[in-house]
Amino acid sequence: MRESVILRYIGAVMLCVSAFMAVSAVISYVNNVDSGFYPLLLSALLTFTLGAFPLLFVPRGKSISNKEGFAIVVGSWILATIVGMFPYLIWGGEFSLVNAWFESVSGFTATGATILNDIEALPQGLLFYRTSTNWLGGVGVVMFALVILPSLGTSRMSLSNVELSSLARDNYRYRTQVIVRILLVIYVGLTAITTLSLKFAGMRWFDALNHAMSACATAGFSTKNLSIAFYDNPTVELILAAAMLISSLHFGLIYATFLRKSNNIFRSEVVRTYMLIIAAATVFITVSLYGASIYTSLFEAFRHSYFQVVSLITTTGFSTADTNLWTPLAIVVLIFVSIVCACAGSTSGGMKVDRLLIFCKILWARIRHQQHPNAVIRIRVDGVVQDNEMLNNVVLFIVTYIALILVASFTNTLFGQDLMTAFSSAVACVGNIGPGFGEVGSMGNFAQIPSILKIQNSFLMLMGRLEIFGFIQLFFLKWWR
Amino acid sequence: MKGIGKRVTVGFLSIVVLLLASGIISLFELSNLSNDTEVILSTSRRNLEIAKEMIKSAHEHSQAVLHYAIFNDLSKRDASRRALGDLEGALVKAKNEAADASRLDSLAAKILHLREVSQSYVVAEAAIPEQSVAIPEPSVLIEVNQSSDGKVWYDNNYKVVYEELMEEIQNFMTHTHTSLAPRAEQLNKNAYRSVAPVFISLVVVIAIVLMFYFFMRIYLVKPIVQTNRSLSDFLTYRLPFSVKAELLDELNELVDNIEKLIAIYKQNKA
Repeated sequence: MRESVILRYIGAVMLCVSAFMAVSAVISYVNNVDSGFYPLLLSALLTFTLGAFPLLFVPRGKSISNKEGFAIVVGSWILATIVGMFPYLIWGGEFSLVNAWFESVSGFTATGATILNDIEALPQGLLFYRTSTNWLGGVGVVMFALVILPSLGTSRMSLSNVELSSLARDNYRYRTQVIVRILLVIYVGLTAITTLSLKFAGMRWFDALNHAMSACATAGFSTKNLSIAFYDNPTVELILAAAMLISSLHFGLIYATFLRKSNNIFRSEVVRTYMLIIAAATVFITVSLYGASIYTSLFEAFRHSYFQVVSLITTTGFSTADTNLWTPLAIVVLIFVSIVCACAGSTSGGMKVDRLLIFCKILWARIRHQQHPNAVIRIRVDGVVQDNEMLNNVVLFIVTYIALILVASFTNTLFGQDLMTAFSSAVACVGNIGPGFGEVGSMGNFAQIPSILKIQNSFLMLMGRLEIFGFIQLFFLKWWR
Repeated sequence: MKGIGKRVTVGFLSIVVLLLASGIISLFELSNLSNDTEVILSTSRRNLEIAKEMIKSAHEHSQAVLHYAIFNDLSKRDASRRALGDLEGALVKAKNEAADASRLDSLAAKILHLREVSQSYVVAEAAIPEQSVAIPEPSVLIEVNQSSDGKVWYDNNYKVVYEELMEEIQNFMTHTHTSLAPRAEQLNKNAYRSVAPVFISLVVVIAIVLMFYFFMRIYLVKPIVQTNRSLSDFLTYRLPFSVKAELLDELNELVDNIEKLIAIYKQNKA
């Protein structure tokens, strides 16, 4: 492993982060030099120097190995969360060292959980910076380095391999250079369209941009304490739900759909399963809420149900209602969709519908195999036979994922959290969702939880974002040799 | 960027510029905080002075009312009016100096209420034919001239309003401590944050210095050591000259030149 090469690429990512800090500083400046200006300016300067330094020394144009690519992705994420703390720490307010780390990790992993009791107390520049960490994290900070750095040769594929889920990789049937362009066009285009739509739906430009960035990153940072409930506007909710839903689909498939290729969204088995889960969950919750008279009209029950389902399954975490007050059935369904999450190859985190689909097929195959012991049963997704390694990986991932949630729930209860808060906060952090239930519910936050649990949850978010094994691997010294 | 000299110079310069810039920004931030703290302290001191004036005036008013309502000492009415005037004057001062005058609305309402209550007694008393009473000595005053109506009015009406007013003045006194200027408010939980910019800058500079050392070692020291070793091996044991380290610019040229020199040497020898 060539540490200098790794540092060069991480440096490029730091330049991206510093650029967003600088843009945020400009917003602060325009907003009558608010209290966020100097913290953002200083942070941008420090991050820029930190990022530019390796570019001075390490020669460009060298291809990188898979291992190096992997180290770049994980290193970039960790370093981005560290430098991402700078504006918060310098600004102060509710940001202690642990709180700033939590907020930064939550931003860059596109989780959207917050420790802020009063989000609206933040100056506009800092609010924009907070959302931009979501946006950067959504598509993967590394992709920016790939876009801005010319002539990388084979290195591009090495980076995308780690950034995207291993399942998503199989679905990409384009050259890596094209993948980067596809992601960028879809991501920026979707953000722009969502911003405009939100503006026309009645939001201010600033809020529209922030919410669009957050929705397209399926992250969930809002500029309002009440999140989307502040607007109480069905049109805004519909636009955001559409943006979240599109962002939670495989970006390659979205592109293929635009090009009218055969492997498009409408033919994808995974997308069909995903839509089916959303529809079923919405129906269950609507009936449950209307039946329990939590909402007096069926429309209101449906409106809040579909939004919360889409918000949680896409791992965004926006909210229009206090879900703690909902029926136990509704809460159980919401926890289920929080565990399943969206499609691989999107900006969403979590376990992914793809894995659930394969897992169900493995179960069904097992049952059939018991009936016909000599049968050769192949498991296919979208007509493609999945090899045993892939199937084993899926089962292993799901087991590890659930085990991680249980271990995190155990430690959460160890520090005095009630069962609902402990379990749902573990699910919310590992799945990069944001809000859970109980103390950390849709109208609550992570401010009151002990610092040790904030640190634990930050690591859970990083592990979830890097698909667990990606993060663990970094700590094995043998791997570095 | 090409040239070792340029790289090293830019590396050092960036450290210096970073230190300088972060120092300037940190100083600026600290001076802002210092100014804010100064403003808070002076505002707090001024508010305390105004609150002191208010308490003094309110107390004088209370004493005067006590004398004319209970002891029928009508000569204290002027003192009462004067004290009320002083109290309102202090309120005007407070309003003029407050950043948000609307915060003093409830205090103003209490003072107005006090005036209304006092006036209501004067009006009610004016309806009764005035008795000319010689002002007795204070020691005998309580026993001789105690007005039971006045006492009831004082206890039931005036005292309640007076206590509410005193409470409001106390709120006014403590208000400045709870509503600090925006920048200084950020420091109310952790005072160490005032040095956060300097501390963070220092950490980044240390990281950069470490990176600088690392790159110098890889791209400058290591190639020179390897070149020297390889050259020594060639001269001593006639081993082929080869350098495996990553080379930059002039060092690359140096190795190329040594290889050419060795080739010429071999040709001459042949």
